[in-house]
Amino acid sequence: MSGATAGSHSLAFRVMRLCRPSFHVETPLLVNPNDLFFGEDLHDDLSLSSRLNDLTSSLFHDSDSDLSYNSNFEVRDVTIKAEIQTERQRILLLDTSKSPVESIRAGGRYDFIVEHDVKELGGHTLVCTALYSDGEGERKYLPQFFKFNVSNPLSVRTKVRVVKETTFLEACIENHTKSNLFMDQVEFEPAQHWTVTTLKADEHSSENNTLSREIFKPPIIIRSGGGIQNYLYQLKSSAQGSTHTKLEGSIVLGKLQITWRANLGEPGRLQTQQILGSPILRKEIELQVAVVPSVIIFERPFLVQLNLINQTDRTLGPFEVRLSQSDSMEKAVMVNGLQKMAVPQVDAFASTKFHVNLIATKLGVQKVTGFMVFDMHEKRAYDLSPDLEIFVGSDVAHQVGEQQPA
Amino acid sequence: MDATTDAPDQDPQQQSLISDFETLSLTTDPLINTAAAAADTDTTTLTSLDDLCYELTSLQDLACKGSWLSVLDKVSRARNLSLLSLPHEHLTYATFNILALSKLRRFSEAASELSSLDDLNSSIYHFETYPQHYPNRTGSFVPFSLRFLHADIPSKLGNRNETLDRLYLLLDFVRTKLDEKMNQKLVNSVNEWRRREIFVMNCLIGHHLSHKEFSVTLKLVTELIRRDSDDVIMLSKLGYIQMQLGDLDGSKRSFDLVEELIKAGKGGALWSEVQLRNLVSRNKALEYLVAKDYVSAVREYDECVERDGSDIVAINNKALSLMYLRDLADSVKVLESSLESVPTVALNETLVVNLCSMYELAYVNHPDIKRTLSKWIARVAPDDFDASCTRI
Repeated sequence: MSGATAGSHSLAFRVMRLCRPSFHVETPLLVNPNDLFFGEDLHDDLSLSSRLNDLTSSLFHDSDSDLSYNSNFEVRDVTIKAEIQTERQRILLLDTSKSPVESIRAGGRYDFIVEHDVKELGGHTLVCTALYSDGEGERKYLPQFFKFNVSNPLSVRTKVRVVKETTFLEACIENHTKSNLFMDQVEFEPAQHWTVTTLKADEHSSENNTLSREIFKPPIIIRSGGGIQNYLYQLKSSAQGSTHTKLEGSIVLGKLQITWRANLGEPGRLQTQQILGSPILRKEIELQVAVVPSVIIFERPFLVQLNLINQTDRTLGPFEVRLSQSDSMEKAVMVNGLQKMAVPQVDAFASTKFHVNLIATKLGVQKVTGFMVFDMHEKRAYDLSPDLEIFVGSDVAHQVGEQQPA
Repeated sequence: MDATTDAPDQDPQQQSLISDFETLSLTTDPLINTAAAAADTDTTTLTSLDDLCYELTSLQDLACKGSWLSVLDKVSRARNLSLLSLPHEHLTYATFNILALSKLRRFSEAASELSSLDDLNSSIYHFETYPQHYPNRTGSFVPFSLRFLHADIPSKLGNRNETLDRLYLLLDFVRTKLDEKMNQKLVNSVNEWRRREIFVMNCLIGHHLSHKEFSVTLKLVTELIRRDSDDVIMLSKLGYIQMQLGDLDGSKRSFDLVEELIKAGKGGALWSEVQLRNLVSRNKALEYLVAKDYVSAVREYDECVERDGSDIVAINNKALSLMYLRDLADSVKVLESSLESVPTVALNETLVVNLCSMYELAYVNHPDIKRTLSKWIARVAPDDFDASCTRI
């Protein structure tokens, strides 16, 4: 920058961030003449009513205006540069050195717009420089710095829960910006071997109005400055544990893709990092309830059919099944007869059905828990609890007998 | 008012009806000019607002000009010199006073005066309480805007929740009145109360929207649209809210519906054809603006201004579009010339804020330019113009 000198400048940069404009929401203090000049019930009087409207009128006035400008000197050969500087990089946005602006007249302006997609967080500096010849032919250099900070517009918190064979992903999105965000899309992109379903809450019945639905779908908006919105996804794996993509021991489930719009449709996008889940521990054997009688009477034996499923890739068994020893309290439901049942071998990925004879010793809703399944071959015990809840009713005939008069 | 003006030609049948009115004794009802009754002219002709309330024409004149300080003076004078003789006149003057204080943003004083009044539902404000003054007249003489001011003022004093509560209560009150008038088949009254219902709902929409409470706002807006699916103004407002939110597909649907309705000849009896066409153009221009096609937006706004030179929304938004096209010189010119040519509509705080922002961007010596603008505003603006918007 030879020949350039410091000192007072003929030029100055003025910078304004061109956000989208916002609508002006007015809550004006305006009243209808009928509500000001007359009592509220005066229109009940039919003879007056039609004449009242004729009496209100409005007046306008007119006036002049006079605005003027001032001026000074001209500058010539203006080379303008604009650059964004961050900790990591410098990006040139504008450089007129190959074709400098010939002149800017006294009081005049050179307007330009620069655009930059902000992809980094933290401090940014917009550096604007002008190299020009002033009114006296002296070469001058004007640098100006405009600093601003860039922070994350959203934060995403996720929770992974595994229930039986389904993985549920809860995502909570928090809006840190100063404007409300209209959520365009919040989608989960699953990793290989995973399928995803978005779970939505049932709508309130009052929202099911077809007329307004034609005009208007209620938007999902996350309010500014800390508003949150929760999303729930159901993930199912279509492969065994070993074929899943892993990252540092955890299974990679996928990523969240979020797009939103702010004021007047200003778009924004965010993609999360890989979301990790814990591997699903599949049980080797499982016990399911196949058939339960519809009526179960207190102290009367009943049969329950169970299904023993082999979830491994090898033959297991034979087995011995019994109700596990509970603590000192008497169980509400007990095996009626032989305490141990023999179950033959089960092939890989196959199952076998068997019956258990039970008897209930307590009335009401009872849970049947704690089946001990002992693999006689591998000498392994499995403590399994199929979902079995029964209702134990009293003997109807016995009840009627009690009600008969003495 | 000249009490002896010639009566219009009447046929004998009509004449006897008028006599009946006389004998039904509205002769002493101050809401009908007593001098006219004595002169045996058409006594049910109200020729001016003064027939209804002392110097109401003058108050109306001052209000329309925005001379709110003069309104305060006039009310004060009337009170000091005991110029008001009737209960309803006192209340009308009180309403003007409270309105003027509010317009001048002197909300504490307005609130003080409101609290000096009785409960607005009290019988003190009913005609039938004063049979000596209003024979055969019943009903409330509370001007409805007084109820609105009573509801609105707490929010201006920092108590927004109180205002919302009062506005919802007012809405309930209006709906009760609406039912009563419908049962009594008072058609004109029903229309007034229906208008008031929509007015209160619009106030609530404004309050919720200014606090970005979009869910409630949208519920109220869609409620209004449900009642009148041809209401193109409300549908457009829905579009603006959707656009503000970022729901661009939604706003496009709303604007398309507005255009369809207007093309089909529907769209509101209150707006002229030019106004309706401009509404469609302005909505289209907004869609261009949002898509950053500022050239097309300017073109649409130009068409609006050609049809209606006082379409200040089009003028303001055209200036903004020019600014986005880096044509700061023209954007300033558009706003300045609107202040010159249509000052009554152009002189509003939003336009002035925009113009001052442009000055700050365009000129190093913007304080001087803004001062010049400020001086002009002080000369011509109504009393309630908020001069702090020039940010000097």
